[in-house]
Amino acid sequence: MKHLIMGAAAALMLTTANFAYAEAIKLEGGKATNMVLLPKFLGILVFDQANEGAQEAHKELANSGELQFVGPTPENSVAGQIEIMTTSGTQGVGAIMLSNNAGDQITPSAEAAQKAGAKVVTWDSPIPGGKGEDVFVAQVDFGSIGVVMADMAHSILGGKGKMAVLSASADASNQNAWIDAMKAALAADPKYADIELVDVVYGDDQAEVSYNRALALVDKYPDLGLIMSPTTVGIQASAKAMQDEGLCDKVKVSGLGLPSEMVSYTMNGCAPEFALWDFRDLGYLTYMTAYGLATGQLKGEIGETFTAGRMGDYSIEADPGREGAKRILMGPFTIYNKDNVEAAAK
Amino acid sequence: MGLLHRLSPAALRILALLAVLAVVILFFSMQIEGYLNGRLFNRISSSVAIMALIATGQTLVILTRNIDLSVGSIVGFSAFATGSLISNNPDLNPLLLLLYSAAVGAGFGMINGALVAYARVPSIIVTLASMALFRSALVEYSNAKSITTETLPAWLTDFPNMPVLSIGTLEVRAGFAASLFVVILVHLCLTRLRPARALFAVGSNPEAADMAGIDAKRVVFAAFALSGLMAGLAGFMFLARFGNITVVAGLGFELKSVASSVVGGVNIFGGSGSVIGAFLGAILVDLLETSLVRWAVVSEFWREAVLGALILLAVTTDTLLSRRLTKLRAKKSKEAAK
Repeated sequence: MKHLIMGAAAALMLTTANFAYAEAIKLEGGKATNMVLLPKFLGILVFDQANEGAQEAHKELANSGELQFVGPTPENSVAGQIEIMTTSGTQGVGAIMLSNNAGDQITPSAEAAQKAGAKVVTWDSPIPGGKGEDVFVAQVDFGSIGVVMADMAHSILGGKGKMAVLSASADASNQNAWIDAMKAALAADPKYADIELVDVVYGDDQAEVSYNRALALVDKYPDLGLIMSPTTVGIQASAKAMQDEGLCDKVKVSGLGLPSEMVSYTMNGCAPEFALWDFRDLGYLTYMTAYGLATGQLKGEIGETFTAGRMGDYSIEADPGREGAKRILMGPFTIYNKDNVEAAAK
Repeated sequence: MGLLHRLSPAALRILALLAVLAVVILFFSMQIEGYLNGRLFNRISSSVAIMALIATGQTLVILTRNIDLSVGSIVGFSAFATGSLISNNPDLNPLLLLLYSAAVGAGFGMINGALVAYARVPSIIVTLASMALFRSALVEYSNAKSITTETLPAWLTDFPNMPVLSIGTLEVRAGFAASLFVVILVHLCLTRLRPARALFAVGSNPEAADMAGIDAKRVVFAAFALSGLMAGLAGFMFLARFGNITVVAGLGFELKSVASSVVGGVNIFGGSGSVIGAFLGAILVDLLETSLVRWAVVSEFWREAVLGALILLAVTTDTLLSRRLTKLRAKKSKEAAK
């Protein structure tokens, strides 16, 4: 009985604590702090869009410090990211915003940067172990990506059929988390019982590898109904492969894609439905978060709420996918189909 | 006088390769249901059309005792540059566009050639550096934009898949036919033209070539320029086939082209080999890769290792087989001489 009361009291205290934080912190602009935006590598449209969003926030907050967009070249992504993280740390920047492509290998250099006084905010792809990271700005809830993909598969296949996944690289932490989430979603609800996930293959985010893998999937599973590709390169390459080989009537393509790259495949029925979030918003929110932390206006504690400019209020919460790690959830998804894809592609 | 006697060692080598190819096809057709059909040919031929061009260029360089590791980056740059030219000038003459991609590639090749032949820097160092430099140049040049299929004219994207000849489901497509044409053209030049023979001379014995009055520097320079040109043409094909070009286009092609050449019997120490061999080598590597993806026995994570082992096995079998055939031939001709 005593325990119960104490438990209830603790719960009450927790709720009041939450209430105490519920007042959204307004970020004060005009403070100078140098920031680094570090994408997986340079030369990809979505990362450039994230940079546009960050630049927008940089201007809006009138930060007289510098915002640098630096990243490694594609063939040197992992080593390059670690190097940039290390140098940024020693240069004493206020915050490093990282879309991690180096797995947990980045942790030592990220921790060193934190020791030197920098805040490490991850976005797009977190540090899997959560060490060396202050907070992760998640584009959408990783679990909900799984449900969205399962739902798209359900509607495209009409509730019954075989599908295969064509992912990016085998060690991409975001894609792996999404595929696991989709598997969990498929297993959780009996309405997906007739959808069979037959294979997961990797196209390394290269057009040629993805294209060939997609065709190999079709050859390997003659009754395949859907290729689900949770990466913008893979979904485009799969759709093109199905179109080139005249297979769009049999095998559909879905996943995460950019409207400007997918519009023709959606209109001709090769990829009737796909989803994505706005990378400009992601860059904007990431910058707001990093600025708040670097200038000491945010402490980076669970339950903290702040106003991120035009996007409204966001809170720091525990990351359900990674124990001990914290995240800010952006959301939501946009699902594209032939009704809205043309407008979004412009 | 048997058939063996009349064939040159080079031809024996090709025969051995064909035998290995047949064994691989036979093996997988027993392992994978519905493997052997017209579609398999379509898959391999369409995909090998690009690698065949690169491997041809790589062979020319390897013949002179050098190596070109920058071809992947050249393919990527050429594909992007060609794509952005045609996007901005949709009515451009196709032939001019093709020339443009060849010129872009040849330009990069000449940089490599000048550094290797005239500045005397080892080719592995020059092209290792230029691989990174050309890729960075592409990152700068692309400005984080990508080329998409939407901005390309239909004639370009339709070209590689246009059937030239079809027998049932088996199709010989324009992309493959064009690339086969180039390979045969280069092969004829290498075997019939005197200046092209200089590549072999420089590779097998530079001192002797020098004595014979061959300008070795010019030959090495030309080999790199041609390798760049081939990579440029491959960039054109890459653009036509995949449509979507980002800065990672052609990443890793350098090693695959070296593998194709070596599997195809081109001596890595220079001086001997043929582009037909490299072409068959490219087919073998592609065939193994495609088949392994479909082979349920090998999981995703082991595939690269198995592919490596199989390439090693293919090279070993091919070397032993052609050595055996050459020996057999020597024995036969000795008997004939008696």
